[in-house]
Amino acid sequence: MAKKNAAVAAEAIKPKAVAKDEDFVLVSLDKKATEIIDTPKYSYWKSVWKTFFANPVTIFMLVLMIIILLMSYIQPMFSGYSLLDVKGVNDFGARYNWPSAKYWFGTDADGKSLFDAVWAGAKTSISIGVIASVIVTVVGVIVGAFWGVSKKIDRIMLEIYNVISNVPMTLIVIVLSYTFGNGFWNLIFAMTVTSWLGTAYFIRVQVMIMRDREYNIASRTLGTPTRRMIFRNILPYLTSVIVTQVSQLLPSFISIEVFLSFLGVGLSSNVPSLGRLISQYSPYMTSYPYLFWLPVLVLALITVSLYIVGQNLADASDPRTHM
Amino acid sequence: MTENILTVKDLSVGFQVRGKELKAIRNVSLELHDQEIFAIVGESGSGKSVLTKTFTGMLEQNGSITHGTIDYKGKRLSDLKKDKQWEGIRGKEIATIFQDPMTSLDPIKTIGSQIAEVIIKHQGKSKAEAKKLAIELMDRTGIPNAADRYDEYPFEYSGGMRQRIVIAIALACHPNILICDEPTTALDVTIQAQILELIKELQREYKFTTIFITHDLGVVASIADRIAVMYSGEIIEVGTCDEIFYNPRHPYTWSLLSSLPQLAQKGGDLYSIPGTPPSLYKDIEGDAFAPRNPFAMKVDFEAEPPMFQVSPTHFAKTWLLDPRAPRVEKPALIQNLHERFEQTLVKDNQLDQDVKVEENLEDEEHDRK
Amino acid sequence: MTVNKKDVLLSLRDLEISFGEGKNKFVAVQDVNFDIYRGETFSLVGESGSGKTTIGRAILGINPTSNGTITFNGTQINKKLSHHQEQDVSRKIQMIFQDPSASLNERATIDYIISEGLYNFNLFDSEEDRLQKVTQIIEEVGLLPEHLYRYPHEFSGGQRQRIGIARALIMQPELVVADEPISALDVSIRAQVLNLLKKFQRESNLTYLFIAHDLSVVHFISDRIAVIRNGRILELAETEELFNNPLHPYTQALLSAVPIPDPKLAREKKLLVYDPKMHDYSVDKPSFVEVKPGHFIYANAPEEEHYRQLLDEQAQGVN
Repeated sequence: MAKKNAAVAAEAIKPKAVAKDEDFVLVSLDKKATEIIDTPKYSYWKSVWKTFFANPVTIFMLVLMIIILLMSYIQPMFSGYSLLDVKGVNDFGARYNWPSAKYWFGTDADGKSLFDAVWAGAKTSISIGVIASVIVTVVGVIVGAFWGVSKKIDRIMLEIYNVISNVPMTLIVIVLSYTFGNGFWNLIFAMTVTSWLGTAYFIRVQVMIMRDREYNIASRTLGTPTRRMIFRNILPYLTSVIVTQVSQLLPSFISIEVFLSFLGVGLSSNVPSLGRLISQYSPYMTSYPYLFWLPVLVLALITVSLYIVGQNLADASDPRTHM
Repeated sequence: MTENILTVKDLSVGFQVRGKELKAIRNVSLELHDQEIFAIVGESGSGKSVLTKTFTGMLEQNGSITHGTIDYKGKRLSDLKKDKQWEGIRGKEIATIFQDPMTSLDPIKTIGSQIAEVIIKHQGKSKAEAKKLAIELMDRTGIPNAADRYDEYPFEYSGGMRQRIVIAIALACHPNILICDEPTTALDVTIQAQILELIKELQREYKFTTIFITHDLGVVASIADRIAVMYSGEIIEVGTCDEIFYNPRHPYTWSLLSSLPQLAQKGGDLYSIPGTPPSLYKDIEGDAFAPRNPFAMKVDFEAEPPMFQVSPTHFAKTWLLDPRAPRVEKPALIQNLHERFEQTLVKDNQLDQDVKVEENLEDEEHDRK
Repeated sequence: MTVNKKDVLLSLRDLEISFGEGKNKFVAVQDVNFDIYRGETFSLVGESGSGKTTIGRAILGINPTSNGTITFNGTQINKKLSHHQEQDVSRKIQMIFQDPSASLNERATIDYIISEGLYNFNLFDSEEDRLQKVTQIIEEVGLLPEHLYRYPHEFSGGQRQRIGIARALIMQPELVVADEPISALDVSIRAQVLNLLKKFQRESNLTYLFIAHDLSVVHFISDRIAVIRNGRILELAETEELFNNPLHPYTQALLSAVPIPDPKLAREKKLLVYDPKMHDYSVDKPSFVEVKPGHFIYANAPEEEHYRQLLDEQAQGVN
């Protein structure tokens, strides 16, 4: 503050440029000179990343998220972890080790390293979350966009939405799991088969808000077809909203997987996942608490880091924050 | 002749935007005379609203006074920092009316209670007295059936009626200065004319000083005593209303007057100011208007002109007033402005003369000099 | 400018536009009748809620009409059209919007915004041809080719409005509906935009429907003016006729509300206030009548008589 005032004072004292006699001549006017814009070129995504990386919390969470992702996808390649491996079950030295320098997360009743188990499980859980989120977002956004602009589609879709959205998703998943059997892809199918409707409905509302804005009416008077209106006029404005949606979907799908595995539906019995670990180790909550709490901790770190990174990316992709 | 109620000296205001300092007001000085209507005319970005916001401490978070002083009745307003220090001044001594009346009204409270609330708070009246005074004020600001409409909500009022209510609320605490920030821009033309009349009448009655901010020079001809023209954060010309209209000296004022649609001649082109006003991010060298000025001299691009005095009340900030400058006449279009309008107006109103004459009775004196 | 009176480009007959149905039905516009001739500027002047914008948008097919016809180039356009007709009409009628900060797509470059119509109707032969057309129009509206790769928010209000004009006029329309194109602009910029509109009209015999709330603005630009209030046209005449002989009390009130930029006269000016209760339409129903060739007014029989009398007195006074 003091520094700023000093600068101002100096400016005031500085003698004004002296007007020379020969400068009092009329000059011709360059009519286009004032039209020049000399601010640096604006780029939407550049501004998004600049705002995104300006926040230290975001960077911390992003680093954490990347470490978790790398661990989940690289570590299992070397550990050779298998859920069905029981060769340590008779080796008492290998069973129920508390976390130590040798076994970072300790070992379980079968003598398997929990560290290996957690990353193998995280890999499955994250994969399910990512794949399900991508499917739901892509289908939901595209359907929702057309749903929002077309009155005809709106009438049909509203009926479908009203019927299906009243059936609990877990029920659908359980029924489908019993019908098609457990399995990775079956679980993803069961999780996404109806939940895209929620996203589509959400996008529909957003599109309806945008639809009658003046710039869209302008495009209509220029004869712009609906499809181009959606992809050039409306969806770009919804970037931030869509990113927010994804950042909520991802952790929630991971949690749903955990919940379902806990109940014993969904994945086949030979596939490790965080949900299965938590369910399997829950009896040890008092005797060997690390077995239960460490997978829970990793789950929490995954969901929280994904959520915060997603939310901050959503904030950054709102041009109003590009100040 | 007149007493100054507010004095601004060398005021500069800066905003921090994207890590850069943006100069919204640059070395503005002005004196506000007691009970006058002082108009500030300028286009968007000229700093006219920012300037008056400093009088009530309402600058946005990222803005601050970087230089200069504001004195009001022996108080140094430019030193006040906290909202607490502004209490008793903002709203009470210096009130503001904004362009959109809904920004100042609470949509879920009745019109009457909003006025009464202010009366109770600032004048310490009882509830019943406040209601009586509020109805009186509503009546005074031209709300028909004021007593019946006391319990209505803002949404039940039209835009013009809402603006009248905002004026009534502002007057409820008997302010010394009323800042009108484009109070008629969002209103229909016929309503605009009525609100202008109302402000003029109320000022005579309540004896406050008015600062009237507008982007339209045409609007203030009927009400202003003095006019300041702002461009790019500076006052570039200030004078009495007659001086600004009949003897303008700054080329920007010439351009503003010339481009009024009322002066347009059929068939020909309208006079237009070339180009675009400078962005506030730009550092300005010399005269800010030079790049758009058809009468620009070489010196305008090199040195900032000082304020030249034209008459005891009339100042203009242009090198054209320097004795060394070539003699430049104001554009032909705005010479003999009065005669020109006298002609066109008489022509326009031939038919409704008969309607008009009788109505002229109540409005006798305009000269408050 | 010569206006061939015979050549009607757009014709509105008994137009009614309503919103909602049954009890909630709200009639925004009714009994609107006027023709717009090719090459002229026809202004529709009214205050907020008068229905002027609704009419403009109905012509562009944005607002559906509930009664009456809109005929463009001899074809009725407010009904289901064939794809080919629809394409044709939608290219030939363009619009300029009031608020330049809301009517441009913020996520698109100026290049795309101006080219949007060209893409929709394939109005270019090659990429070079398109770029050449866009560059030409942006220079014609007084901007620079380097602006093409910038985004709307980087421009000032006046510049944005010129972009809006460029995107409409690159379509080479026959009719342009200009909905208060200057009321959101600074005074110093308004003249630029009006001159620009005039220039395009001179160059390509454009027809404008100019919507405004302020008579002072339309005086300069228009050939004929219609005054509209509460969804009804109250008076319609050639510009000079309307300014010299404003007959309807509402037109007179509008005229008296125009600020006079002359302190001496402005201080003396008396404001006329219009009160619709002054008309007694309980017995005698009003209609839109022609009191003088080309001068129409909404009046009932006694009023019509009165207006004719006024015009006679006026004619004698001049002689």
